[in-house]
Amino acid sequence: MKKILAFLRAHILPVIAIVVVALGAVVYTSAHNQVSAKPGRTKIVFWNEMGGPAEVALDQMVDKFNKSQTKYEVIPQYQGAYDEAVQKIIQSHGSSASPALFQSFDISTAQMMHSKYTTPVQKFIDADHYNVSDISPVARSFYSNKGKQLAMPFNTSQPVLYYNATLLKKYHITPPAKSPSYSDVTRVAEQLYKRSGHKVKGMTMEIYGWLMEEALANAKTSLVNNGDGHTGNPTKINLNNPTTKNYLKWIRTNIKSGDFVNYGSGASAETNEIAAFLAGKLGIFVQSSAYIGQLTTGNKDKLGISYFPHPDGKKANGVGIGGAALWISNDKPKKVQKGAFEFIKYALRPDSQANWQKATGYLALNSKSQSQPALKSLYAKQPEARVPGEQLAAAKPNNTNSGILMEGMQLTRELEETSMETVYDGGSISKALSTANQGMNANLKTTNRANHDYQ
Amino acid sequence: MLKSPATHSSTTPLASNDETSKATKSRSDFWLNAKDKYYAWIFLGPSLLILGVFIFYPMLKTLYLSLFLTNTVGKPTVFVGLANYINLLTSADYLNSLAVTMVYVLAVTAITIVLGLVLANFASKQLAGIGIFRTLFSATMGVSVSVAAIFWLFIFNPSTGFLSLVSTWLHLPQIGWLTDPTWAMVAVIITTVWMNLGFTFLILLGAMQSVPTTLYEAASIEGATPRYQLFHITIPMISPTLFFVSIITLIEGFKSFGLIDLMTKGGPTNATNMLVYRIYKDAFYSGNYAQASAESLILTVIIAIFTLIQFKVLEKRVNY
Repeated sequence: MKKILAFLRAHILPVIAIVVVALGAVVYTSAHNQVSAKPGRTKIVFWNEMGGPAEVALDQMVDKFNKSQTKYEVIPQYQGAYDEAVQKIIQSHGSSASPALFQSFDISTAQMMHSKYTTPVQKFIDADHYNVSDISPVARSFYSNKGKQLAMPFNTSQPVLYYNATLLKKYHITPPAKSPSYSDVTRVAEQLYKRSGHKVKGMTMEIYGWLMEEALANAKTSLVNNGDGHTGNPTKINLNNPTTKNYLKWIRTNIKSGDFVNYGSGASAETNEIAAFLAGKLGIFVQSSAYIGQLTTGNKDKLGISYFPHPDGKKANGVGIGGAALWISNDKPKKVQKGAFEFIKYALRPDSQANWQKATGYLALNSKSQSQPALKSLYAKQPEARVPGEQLAAAKPNNTNSGILMEGMQLTRELEETSMETVYDGGSISKALSTANQGMNANLKTTNRANHDYQ
Repeated sequence: MLKSPATHSSTTPLASNDETSKATKSRSDFWLNAKDKYYAWIFLGPSLLILGVFIFYPMLKTLYLSLFLTNTVGKPTVFVGLANYINLLTSADYLNSLAVTMVYVLAVTAITIVLGLVLANFASKQLAGIGIFRTLFSATMGVSVSVAAIFWLFIFNPSTGFLSLVSTWLHLPQIGWLTDPTWAMVAVIITTVWMNLGFTFLILLGAMQSVPTTLYEAASIEGATPRYQLFHITIPMISPTLFFVSIITLIEGFKSFGLIDLMTKGGPTNATNMLVYRIYKDAFYSGNYAQASAESLILTVIIAIFTLIQFKVLEKRVNY
């Protein structure tokens, strides 16, 4: 026993000592390793979820802002995917690690609003007499509640219909109309599939809840009660409605004629449909306007762009937006919050927005951006790049195309996608929709109960 | 880990099978004297602290959260008792996840071990250039999950993928590898087996090489066929390793996350929505911490049951 203890004293205790010292050192350095701003400037930590070319463009924008004045220093920090960032933002609130300014995506709006962790930008708009009328109304309405601007729309896209203009010309097919109906799209898809001798698939629609919601918006149909959540907290969801049925029937028609190809859901579906489109094996797909850059560089064929399709015999209501907004945390001193708003104003300047659209494909939200040299040179090179901006400008905001202001949209989307998968796979449309609808309503009930109906 | 029954008997005061320990066992041996207690605290303290902060506290918190509903910011608000568990165990969606996880885990474990055994059996032969094959067979060990997922996504691509090209050349019907619910499961299993195979192969090969060659020599003299030798010498001799590999593969299967996230995101129609992926989605997508906590605890129980079954049933067939 003594021998063992002597051994432990000689060998294990030093090891423990080393571990304790090492742990202490790690804790000490991490506590002192916070980002340092230039002396005399107010530090504004800015969490964002922009990867790839958008990250480069955002860093450039921040850099320009920091150089344009001497009071504030914005420090951008990439936080990964949108979904996970929401939880990071909420869970870090009130701690020293939380951001002063953050980017959060479209469907987290109700969650951020209910968290009461942010200062609505309306407060700064009023204090500064900032003129918001230049900023896209349909984008603003997505992040506002009862006339109050909660957050400022930032990276914004809309779904548009992309087609391979070269292939259509080759097979003598009239391109889809600028604002096509479902049957117009079907016509083009079927002709392309037949006339190419089944070598080119006609069309695809990704299994993506966003696209289904946009189909509802474009047909002026609410998904949830209380004006899609804009007039009060939703209590009932109705996915099993004529508009969604019609939308899925349209897709099923194309699946049956064989011109439709299913790439599934998620990022891999988008990668695959773009790969097929660029390889000339797919004629039409509907996707975010933010992909325009990827679809023009390295594309040997001419790209065509139309508006998001609308149901036959119905006027297009205009689609809502997708993307994310800039929010100001309320757990930071006033000076920091004000600095965050200064950056927001800078980010929405006509020149900033024009450069942003040129670099990323996200739409310029400032109406004055269209006459900026950056966009003029872009349109001169690619006239079709105008179309998404025109679609955005054409939409008049109302409750159905201003997003669905309801919590738990992530799960709602998942259930929408499951119903789409069932239908794409040959299942019954109304059964798939009613199953999803049941799940959504059960979830909504639990969410409302957990939050005491937001009383 | 495999020797745990042996170490158990030396630390627990039971040791009824051991005459000598009975003799030395006294009160002071169990109730440590003051000095020993002091050392016990010094040595166990740091690990208890670390375990407490990083294991026990999160576990208790998970249990606590699972009995509530959580609000927008993840705080428990309404106490619901076992309602979260009851809802889960009666929801068709969750039972489906349970079923697909079982199919996936069992298929992956069985196929990985059979293929690993076959490859290791081939590679254990002393032939010219066998080193090249050994390297090739174990090569997937160095492949990260994301690389494997992207690699197989290219192969499964419905328009430009290798498999779709092959079936076009051979005029076979196209398979929606990642879009058809049944095939998506097959695709995920193929990818997981491919990934696991390198490690399993290497471990099994190592075990086979440590089997004394005298056994085979004796068997050959007796006229045993290679097949007989495989089933009656090799497999019994490497059974501890097979046991180890089966537990590791099974538990890894339950924990499979990266591949699902990158390849199918649980779809299509929840066909590959495994338990772990569900937990992640419920917690970090939907922010439904209460439900995710309940799911975590159910998963813990399931893995514990499986491990227990393996120790009870499989261990009996293991020759140490």
